[in-house]
Amino acid sequence: MFESALCQIIFYVFAALALLCAVGVVAFRNPVTSAMNMALCFGLVSAILFGLGAQFLGIIQIIIYAGAILVLFVFVIMMLDIKAEEHSPASWLPAVGGTVVAAVFAGMVMSVSMNLPGAKDGSCPAKTLWDNIGELSLAPQPQQAEAPAKVTRFGGALPALSPAAAAKALNPDIAPEQAANATTYPDVKLVGHTLFTQYNIPFVILGFALLSGSVGAMALARKYRKD
Amino acid sequence: MIPLAHYLIFSGLLFSIGLAGVLVRKNIIVVFMCLEMMLTAANVSLVAFSRAQGTAGIPVYDAQVLSLFVSGIAAAEVAIGLALIVAMFRSRKSVESTELTSLKD
Repeated sequence: MFESALCQIIFYVFAALALLCAVGVVAFRNPVTSAMNMALCFGLVSAILFGLGAQFLGIIQIIIYAGAILVLFVFVIMMLDIKAEEHSPASWLPAVGGTVVAAVFAGMVMSVSMNLPGAKDGSCPAKTLWDNIGELSLAPQPQQAEAPAKVTRFGGALPALSPAAAAKALNPDIAPEQAANATTYPDVKLVGHTLFTQYNIPFVILGFALLSGSVGAMALARKYRKD
Repeated sequence: MIPLAHYLIFSGLLFSIGLAGVLVRKNIIVVFMCLEMMLTAANVSLVAFSRAQGTAGIPVYDAQVLSLFVSGIAAAEVAIGLALIVAMFRSRKSVESTELTSLKD
């Protein structure tokens, strides 16, 4: 399903919209407008994570960022009753400086990603779509045979997810024909398997970090009485 | 299929927009939002690398677990940071970063 041409167009549309919303966060003067733009941006980023096959992280992105963090931001904006920034005359120099620094950083990252070893192997899907815009097929393309795994490969298409291999990884004793019958990819099960076997202790430490974070937030934000 | 480089370019652009926001904006709450955006951009590139470096049709799940930890720590960080902003507003009646000049004068 993720291989069809439609999904490729969806990635580029969502990426462009997410970047537009991110620019909106920076550009709007009213903090509430910025917060709403950030909610949209996180929703679109979670759609991109879905497209990458990371359903669990996409859901987590919506629940944690758009659900919890954003509500906290909007609540603090409401509580402090913050007005929109007024335009100060002498503020163009830091604005231009910051934009130049960020643009240099963006150019650096783009040049590094485009010059990764093998990154120019595959044809650009946007260009392929443009060339074949007439015979665009919305049906899923037949899956290719799995490419031999090369660790240093950064280019070409991302390798396809294999439900059979995932079923085998979750249950090594499964019969091969039963594994081959698996149709859905168990993303959440595999994340949970990794989290609770390999990373159990860090997960507990994360829980302690969240606990101390909430206790610290209450200690910082409470009003001190004079007595 | 979209190559890895396009996901990396997207995440790099999102990160640099966040960086620009941190450098340009004076409202500390918006600066904080831009920090969250930078963390999200890092998450996108982690997940893209986990998918690209996977073997035999299974992504590298260590990267996705790391990205989950980043989200969890971001939640704790937001709670502390917003409490600091509230404390700053109580003492200075402002959330502009240009008001924080007590070390300068």
